[in-house]
Amino acid sequence: MFRTKVILAAFAAMAIISGAAGAGVFDLSAISGPKASDLYMVIYRDPDSQILALQKGELDVLGDITRPVDVERLSENPDVTLSISRGFHLFFMGFNLRQEPWNDMTLRQAASMAVPSRQIVRDIFSGYSEPLSAYLPPASPYYEPDVKVWEYSPEGARKLLKDAGWKWSADGILIPPGKNAPLKPFRLLSPTAQVAPTTAEVSERIAGALKEIGIPVSVEPLDFSMMMKRLDSHDFDLFVMAWSLSRDPDSLFAFFHSSMDVRGGYNIQGLHDDSLDKVLEELRFAPDRATAENAARRSQKMLSELAPWIPVYSRYMVTAVRKGWNGVISTEKTSADNMWTLINMEPASGGRRPVMWCLSDEPRSLNPLGTGSAYDWQVLGLIYDSLIAIDPETLDDTPWLADSWKVETAGEGSGRHTRLIFNLREGIRWHDGNPFSSKDVKATLEFLKKNEIPRYFDSVRDIEKIEAPDAKTLIVTMKNISYWHLHNIGGSPVFPAHILENVKNWETWQPASEPHPSQKGLTMLVGTGPFIFREYRPGEYVHFVRNDSFRLPGRD
Amino acid sequence: MRSYWARRAAGAVLVLLLVIAANFFLFRIMPGDAVSSIVDPRFSPEAKERMRELFGLDLPLHSQFFIYVRRMLTFDFGLSFLSQRPVWDEIRSRIPNTIALLGSALLLSSVIGTWLGVHAARKRGGFVEKLVLISGSVSFSFPSFFVQLVLLLLFAYTFPVFPLRGTVSIPMPQGTLNLVLDYIMHMVLPAGSLVLLGFGSWAIYVRNLMVKTLGKDFILLARAKGLSEERILWNHAFRSALPPVLTIFLLALPGIVSGAVITETVFSLHGVGKFLLDSILGHDYPAAGAAFYILGLLTIFSNLVADAAYSIADPRIRVGRRAER
Repeated sequence: MFRTKVILAAFAAMAIISGAAGAGVFDLSAISGPKASDLYMVIYRDPDSQILALQKGELDVLGDITRPVDVERLSENPDVTLSISRGFHLFFMGFNLRQEPWNDMTLRQAASMAVPSRQIVRDIFSGYSEPLSAYLPPASPYYEPDVKVWEYSPEGARKLLKDAGWKWSADGILIPPGKNAPLKPFRLLSPTAQVAPTTAEVSERIAGALKEIGIPVSVEPLDFSMMMKRLDSHDFDLFVMAWSLSRDPDSLFAFFHSSMDVRGGYNIQGLHDDSLDKVLEELRFAPDRATAENAARRSQKMLSELAPWIPVYSRYMVTAVRKGWNGVISTEKTSADNMWTLINMEPASGGRRPVMWCLSDEPRSLNPLGTGSAYDWQVLGLIYDSLIAIDPETLDDTPWLADSWKVETAGEGSGRHTRLIFNLREGIRWHDGNPFSSKDVKATLEFLKKNEIPRYFDSVRDIEKIEAPDAKTLIVTMKNISYWHLHNIGGSPVFPAHILENVKNWETWQPASEPHPSQKGLTMLVGTGPFIFREYRPGEYVHFVRNDSFRLPGRD
Repeated sequence: MRSYWARRAAGAVLVLLLVIAANFFLFRIMPGDAVSSIVDPRFSPEAKERMRELFGLDLPLHSQFFIYVRRMLTFDFGLSFLSQRPVWDEIRSRIPNTIALLGSALLLSSVIGTWLGVHAARKRGGFVEKLVLISGSVSFSFPSFFVQLVLLLLFAYTFPVFPLRGTVSIPMPQGTLNLVLDYIMHMVLPAGSLVLLGFGSWAIYVRNLMVKTLGKDFILLARAKGLSEERILWNHAFRSALPPVLTIFLLALPGIVSGAVITETVFSLHGVGKFLLDSILGHDYPAAGAAFYILGLLTIFSNLVADAAYSIADPRIRVGRRAER
């Protein structure tokens, strides 16, 4: 009862700028900043000490709170405001469609009806997650709610199977149509309870539910590496997995297109469906947003019928902010621990003071060219900007380093390709005072492509030509057609050309510890972002100061 | 004597070579590698393959082995897969905190435990013995994270005497003395928790040894000679019981650089333990291989030191003397 109140209160408070006049109406243009004097990203590894630090006032913002007990504890704390949003988390169970009986769609549909997602969410997550029926998380702008929903009904599952000719043995095990022997026992691969206790519990619940309709399943707990090895070599019956996805639906291509059913590919379940492949190709190579959206919605509908996974739940993103800060940005799709909050938050009373932001693990290298660590990017994301940003309410593109852009399809016949034209903002300067121009973006993209840097490999591999006809204009010609090129290119961080030209070895580059050649107090981590990097003390904190020359688009 | 040490040195080199080989093969027979652990649909199989080339994982196993052995023998441990920083820099940045934490905890728990153990054996059934037996059982019974979280709750939150995390306050205090004091204040709870968890087992071990020793004939003889109880306790009984205590102490020494994962996590300390765990879980072969190699070296060295210390602590153990005669 209480937790329901918490969730309702949190969703009711969505899309607000706390402490702003007219709170309750979200207005992106009302955001300005940065307003805090300094930002400390403080490393707290243990979830219990994170909560203690927040309650004690040593932390101002704590994101990614996953334990229901912590959410409920903090919801009773008068000094803390909670924000809950739908994120991009997706937990599912997958079948191995390469083998019997999982290549039988009816059995998969019946299995989907046997899993009590709502009950799992209620029992294990105390309601701080939502049950799923679709193949994209509900926060995605491309989420299709109107899909075939396999509502929980063990009786319905049995009827579906019976109608398709399945029978049951004396001890309740399913017998496939046209066969006499009951199903052999199956294994559901799952991470161990030591590593992922809730996942292990969900796996047990799924296995129990499948047994109820006559599918003999037991959980096989595995070390994650071992599990990945088994999945990579397709040596499994069933598996559970969680993804943290992005706003774009092109992950559907990676997960379900038959060309991705290769060793190390993400079509782990081995789905091959010609009709779906065609729609996924439309999605992957869509020339514009409308075509992409249409294909994304159609593919979700088709997937709900094919049932290659049982989507189970999506976790809410919960963030706690100490009261005493105004300007916190929280929407239904973006939890409060976002860049907009960092820019906009200011003390409710008194002058400027530092923000204490929790970093729940150590950055690894702070090398923007090499690192894939989420903790590194929490830091680097405040230093480096991209051409376009994401609107926290709609998740649509919004201007950032680029004022405006155009996505064109150029060429003829099989040579048709996407051309991106960006108009860049004027008056932007790098943290070291050098002016930002289209030459920087050109140098960045050329550097990433020439060095085949794995993290950016898929984003820049299809670039044919990069032109910077003047300081304000950038034209990127791609080799093929895809609307997603806009997000791949427009969403990549931009590095200063004058720094990049001195990078001898991108793999070993340590910009956080190399002093800037001319500006005292700066390192080689030079961006255009709202905060200027000052210092990283390993194991302790990352310190930033506000970038006084930073201006949000439209406030130049 | 000389031939004994030559034999021991040869044995140590052999063990070291085995450690080097085992480090290489054990990590590689573990399923997966640093690249296959990347679970991110934004990484295509081609991008993963490019990463495999960069890490040298596309080379034949024997080539990887020769590169690895050369690196171990020249102490050039290469780059960490996870951070792309030199492995030696990664370890070096963590060692001071780890030694300060575990060195002080080992020293304090062994000194306190030994003193309590000796006194518990002296007065059987007395307060000290009861304390030793109870504290020993309690420290065995409670998981370290529980004790540490209770300490944090009590002394960093409810009565905020000590800091919650790390080794330095934010913002950093000015002046060397203030920095040192700040560091000590940050280390009190983590090191104290390890002492609290560790001294009981030392005390019980020393008590048991001393009880056995105090019942021996030479103690009776010393008492018959009219020596003071203090002298009998420390100069005769304790010295006789010292070699096994020394062995345990010296063999625990390599542990002070291996880190304490749970303590480092609870108190957010920048230490070797968490690094080692992340390296193993992340298949960071260069980092994990180097860390275990250093630990192997220290263990072998501690063993040699323990051998030498025996002969100093106990005159009955003078290795090779008979042969020299």
